[in-house]
Amino acid sequence: MIKRKQMLAVAVTAALGLTAAACGGDDDATPVTEPPATDAPDTDEDMTDEDMTDEDMTDEMVDGSDLSVGLLFDITGRGDRSFNDAAAAGLDQATAELGITGNESTPTGDGDRAERLQGLIDQGNELIIGVGFLWGDAITAGAEANPDTNFAIIDSVIELDNVASLVFAEQEGSFLVGAAAALKSQTGTVGFIGGVENDLIKRFEAGFAAGAEAVNPDIEILASYITQPPDFTGFADPARGKEIAAGMYEAGADIVYSAAGASGLGAFEAAREAGEPGDVWAIGVDSDQYELVGEDLQPYILTSMLKRVDVAVFETISETAGAGFSGGVKVFDTASDGVGYSTSGGFIDDIVDQLDAFAEQIASGEIEVPVTR
Amino acid sequence: MSSTTNETPDVTGDETGDEMHGWRKIIHTPRYRMMIFAMIGVVSMSLGRVLSGNDDLTSSGTFGVALRTAAPIALAGLAGLFAERSGTVNIGLEGMMIMGTIFAGWWGWQYGPWMAVVGGIVGGLLAGLLMSLATTTFGVNHIVAGFAINILAPGVARFMANELFTGVPGGSVTSSPGNSGSMGRFTMPFTSGGDLFGWQTPDVFGWIERQGWFILADLGGFAKGMTTNVSYDVVLTAAIFVLAGYVVWSTSIGLRLRAAGERPAAAESLGVSVAKMRHLGLAISGGLAGLGGAVLVLFANRYQEAQVAGRGFLGLATLIFGNWRPAGIAAGAGLFGYAQGITLRTSPEQVVRALLLSAAIGLGLSAVWMLVTRNFTGMGIAALIGIALFWAYYAAERPNNQLVFVTPYVVTLVAVSVGAQRLRPPAEEGIPWFKGQT
Repeated sequence: MIKRKQMLAVAVTAALGLTAAACGGDDDATPVTEPPATDAPDTDEDMTDEDMTDEDMTDEMVDGSDLSVGLLFDITGRGDRSFNDAAAAGLDQATAELGITGNESTPTGDGDRAERLQGLIDQGNELIIGVGFLWGDAITAGAEANPDTNFAIIDSVIELDNVASLVFAEQEGSFLVGAAAALKSQTGTVGFIGGVENDLIKRFEAGFAAGAEAVNPDIEILASYITQPPDFTGFADPARGKEIAAGMYEAGADIVYSAAGASGLGAFEAAREAGEPGDVWAIGVDSDQYELVGEDLQPYILTSMLKRVDVAVFETISETAGAGFSGGVKVFDTASDGVGYSTSGGFIDDIVDQLDAFAEQIASGEIEVPVTR
Repeated sequence: MSSTTNETPDVTGDETGDEMHGWRKIIHTPRYRMMIFAMIGVVSMSLGRVLSGNDDLTSSGTFGVALRTAAPIALAGLAGLFAERSGTVNIGLEGMMIMGTIFAGWWGWQYGPWMAVVGGIVGGLLAGLLMSLATTTFGVNHIVAGFAINILAPGVARFMANELFTGVPGGSVTSSPGNSGSMGRFTMPFTSGGDLFGWQTPDVFGWIERQGWFILADLGGFAKGMTTNVSYDVVLTAAIFVLAGYVVWSTSIGLRLRAAGERPAAAESLGVSVAKMRHLGLAISGGLAGLGGAVLVLFANRYQEAQVAGRGFLGLATLIFGNWRPAGIAAGAGLFGYAQGITLRTSPEQVVRALLLSAAIGLGLSAVWMLVTRNFTGMGIAALIGIALFWAYYAAERPNNQLVFVTPYVVTLVAVSVGAQRLRPPAEEGIPWFKGQT
């Protein structure tokens, strides 16, 4: 765990270095040739201690300039400040640090998925990553037809040798925010809103409930879903998200966790109308939503369950460029920092120790978080 | 509404035939059937609540959700009415609502909630005029043009959002920053406990609701739900419905509008410009659909990509169920709103279970009624479905969630198919008209 964190620190520092260098270049109008090379080793030295292994070193040294990677976004694509942007960040990081060539494609609906995938295959990308479980059918078909191309899919499992299935232990991250909710709740009632009731989102509910009950066995947990599959509008309908959340606050809940994509904004809005900051809270999902909403909603975002799609994308690319692609299921969990919680806003500073204790218990396997309620 | 019986003589009244006499002739008039139908509805809902013990079935909270859910759907339906009464089939309602949401999100963020209302109308109006240019001026097939609007609108919205909201705090390519300020809310004084010059008036409806009396409490819940914490844009929606009924059926411009959809050749021979009427109809249609989008934006307090989520098509469905009349549209949207609304309540499965009981009772009462009117086939079908629903209520202690979500729609479908059997669209809607044509 520590190793990964350090790697991340190295990566982030390097990325910052790049950014700073780029800015400097603009300001001074002087070409800056190799700023990362001067920054990164410094950081490496700072960070290197006995944990740093050969493997980590090779990761840093990976040269991906021969590798071209195709990234297939989910419907909204770049700029959604959530799921897709996280994937884009992973690709950008790989482009900057490994020198790979990234090719992106954003579908406009379910009708053009197969064509977009074929487009990236025809372009000659060695690795193609599908962001979101809705790519499942297209990638299964594409991977069967093109055994020499490597694929990866996020949030879904495809059992083919040339597909890496990148899945997250959402239940573990949800456990942590569930524990946070129970620790912070005054009323003893908390709520969960799922966008669409499929197995993926049920994992969020199961983890949230387990975490809340680990802190307070008597806590009351209200749970609702906006739509049933195959109706996926539940991920983009703030009106219904708001109605459900408002009903929960009315029924005595003071903290509501929504795993409902953009519908979650409606739940935040319901919190704002339900009470004063500090009395009612909402919990965000996937990204650090405190950083994404406007100032009017920030005082209501207690924390967010983080799902590090950027880490998954970057590590898959880095592995392909370095050691070589390997298929199979790869779980990004608490132990690998693939999931976690955010502390922006400082509202949970007082309970971070307790949450980290839970996180360690989960990482060590002492607590096994259920995937169904 | 008052003119419903004299406007379309070909569908009202005399389907009874010669052999019907006396009271049986009276009970076969549509208005009488409607009353019976409504009474069965009220009684069965109340019985379902009392017997299941689930007050949320007819609580003011539930009706409040239903009203908020219904308002945008109803506006889309009314938008369809103006287009289709003037002769244009408008399946572009969804796209017009989307144009409404993007403009409402933009102006609401920049200038506040009431400008969001104006923005929504403007956005929808632009889409309406564009469609009218295609269908009325160039004679493009209405379905093709409407479909084009539906494809075009999300693209335009995405483009505008990218230009307007990207990089703004709280905004992104898929959502606008919050509106500056919220729309006010209205609570009726004396009946629902609204404030009057700072004095909290009595809450009569709420009191009746809390007593739990058979039928009275349910009506109290309904009345309180309709008059408590109603956002002003929803109040505006209700006012527009009343106004629309008056304009379309009781003014000369309304008559001309309808003539353009019923008998364009006749209208033109009397000096009415059919093209002008159809442009006007689609402009109003677009504006109303856009307003529906604005209502969504105001409730969510922001533009969110894809937030329309098929409500334009639901509106189109209520237009047809509602027989191209405002009251019918309002009733249809109300049913949809209620159906969707109860799935949004806390522990929806229990509410839906109670609804199953109500539906079973309602079908039982309908069966009795059909026995009285000697409609034996109908009676058999109603009784069978009623028994099946009662069994479902009895068997399902905690209904499966898939069932929970589908039940309200099934109940709505049953209610609608019983309630609206004889539909009559405007005679020449969907047929391009060229000046001088005969």
